[in-house]
Amino acid sequence: MASSSLTLISTSTLISQGAEAKVYKAHLTAAPSEPLVLLKHRFHKGYRHPTLDASLTRTRVAGEARALLKCLRSGVNVPGVRMVDAAEGVLGIDWIDGNSVRKLLPGGAGEEDEATSSEDEEPDPVDLLHEYDISVGVLGQLIGQEIAKMHLADVIHGDLTTSNMMLRHPASFKSRHSTLRTELVLIDFGLSYHSSLVEDKAVDLYVLERAFSSTHPDSEPLFASVLKAYELRMGKEWAAIGRRLDDVRLRGRKRSMVG
Amino acid sequence: MESYQLPQFPAHLSCVHAALYTDVSDADLLRKRLITASTAEGVDGERERDALNFSFIEARLVWLFSITSVNHMRTAVYQALLAASQDSLRTKTVHSEIIWALNPTNNISEAMRRYGVSDTTTALIAVRIAGPEVLATSVEGDMDAVIKGTKASFSALPALTDWAAVKKYHKLGNEAAVRDAKNDLEREHAVVDSIVTSSVAMKSVMA
Repeated sequence: MASSSLTLISTSTLISQGAEAKVYKAHLTAAPSEPLVLLKHRFHKGYRHPTLDASLTRTRVAGEARALLKCLRSGVNVPGVRMVDAAEGVLGIDWIDGNSVRKLLPGGAGEEDEATSSEDEEPDPVDLLHEYDISVGVLGQLIGQEIAKMHLADVIHGDLTTSNMMLRHPASFKSRHSTLRTELVLIDFGLSYHSSLVEDKAVDLYVLERAFSSTHPDSEPLFASVLKAYELRMGKEWAAIGRRLDDVRLRGRKRSMVG
Repeated sequence: MESYQLPQFPAHLSCVHAALYTDVSDADLLRKRLITASTAEGVDGERERDALNFSFIEARLVWLFSITSVNHMRTAVYQALLAASQDSLRTKTVHSEIIWALNPTNNISEAMRRYGVSDTTTALIAVRIAGPEVLATSVEGDMDAVIKGTKASFSALPALTDWAAVKKYHKLGNEAAVRDAKNDLEREHAVVDSIVTSSVAMKSVMA
């Protein structure tokens, strides 16, 4: 008997594929009001022993789902979990209608998906930001706040890049603020883990800083506003993390193995 | 009553029928009947079990306000179907599995006590999992025959939900997300709903 999750995937639309998983857009049921979900399928890896493959897949699906729930409980904006099939390695989460921050900033468009850019002209990032009715400064603040909320819950994302942050499209989102028509959502907790160490939080920020400077030219002021909002939200925890961030900048992501 | 299909599951699990009843007056009888049916032997027992082949979910604890919230029930149904199709049910039937999935702990009798029908229940949701050969109208007839109450639209639910109990069962009182939203009731309910729905979805990997 074919697995129900694989049957579901076979009727869904593939959005993208990485080394670890394929991502699909799907409806869980045929009910008319059923909202969209995103399915992340950690497919079988033929190069691993089947037993090891099954246990790694199970652990990773479970880990990602747990990190999402922990974030939800702590008020971090993340997609909710809609189904988990650990045996097949499928995780279903809420579909988020919007764009990744990477696409909204200069330098981020194109490159990542060359296949689609040939079909139609990529919209200009400046136009897109206008569509979301948000300035670059405010965007930086939102990013800083979400990361701070996540770190206060002792969740380390592990792969903070502008591709792993999305803005909800104003058309599909009812905002509680009068001035803000969108919200920032953190996605892809595949590399996340639980830690309260200053080192891990500082490295998380450093990874984001490097991601900014390597994908978006002249983004220093933006990252400064990210840090500013982060500092404000972290309160007294910031001092230690700020100091450690300076250390990490000097030595890089990995600690020295000498001695 | 709402009915929907899940074509990805084996045929006998592929149709879901659910209905909300309010002003239920015979909950104590219903519960007694369920208990006798499950222990009765022979032909009579079989017939009685067929007549009561539903999940009865205490409606006070399920919130089904907007589209996101029909999700709480649907998510529990989905995870129960998934378990049934993989032969990994923790309870005896797919119907009791739905109730088990709603409760955050692994204790089956606790789940029945909290989310199952009780003597004082006045509003409940009946859920039936069936194959495509079972007509929605006949399921509806069966439900009406068993339950004495007024059928209501799922949009009537938020007023029935016992939010304090939901928060207690899921230990949400002290969570940052809920505390942040405590001045805005509508938002608090949305936050609780999203946490609770996600908890149901990932129960199989929570331990």
